[in-house]
Amino acid sequence: MVHALHEAHRVLKPDGILVDLRPAAVHRRVGVVCKGSYRELGSMREKFDDDLAANRAVAQILQEGLFITEWRRRFDCRRVMDTLDEFRTWIDEFVQLSSLPSHDWLIEEVEHALEQAYGKTEIVVRGPLVMRVLRKMEP
Amino acid sequence: MTLIVDPEQNEIRALERVVDWRGKRVVEIGCGNGRLTLRLAGLGARVQAIDPKAERVREAHENLPRRFAKQISYHAGQAESLALGTASFDLAVFAWSL
Repeated sequence: MVHALHEAHRVLKPDGILVDLRPAAVHRRVGVVCKGSYRELGSMREKFDDDLAANRAVAQILQEGLFITEWRRRFDCRRVMDTLDEFRTWIDEFVQLSSLPSHDWLIEEVEHALEQAYGKTEIVVRGPLVMRVLRKMEP
Repeated sequence: MTLIVDPEQNEIRALERVVDWRGKRVVEIGCGNGRLTLRLAGLGARVQAIDPKAERVREAHENLPRRFAKQISYHAGQAESLALGTASFDLAVFAWSL
């Protein structure tokens, strides 16, 4: 990670800007919306090792004087899905890519909630994103 | 079936706050399937988008709208192996890739 940040510093023009956008290191929350009312069903069980390593890498390049922080902002980001199949596909892929334990329990929670709901329903995954904006400096 | 990411467009609003992207040269490191790349191009940036996974880059390329063809170029590989020019970009974007 530090190597990639050093490479970014090399290819940026003087005063160039580096944008680091990624999910905050908090567990995503999953729920359903039925008739405009949100009901939370559970939180995912992500690991945050990579996020913490990325934070350390950013801290290192700041300490090296390669960049300064211009600003940092955290904002909500939702994924909205219409069907259980869509949610299952998304979470199965997420679990596989992130080497997480099975989230079948959460799929079952969603399935159960959808069975009880009537009318139009949506499955919502909520998790904040963090955008950090750094400006290139010459050490 | 529909999967909508960020229907409130909070992400694009945050990006708009960074800079006026029009005409800016941007390198996006870890572009994945090009979801954010298209947003940056929509803001007017000229984007060189890179991802180590050739399959994802192929997907991004297949989904590249013709209107952005002159603004976006996709490349498979590591950023450092592409011999990008020194001091040649206005912005570097790591989107979900650090």
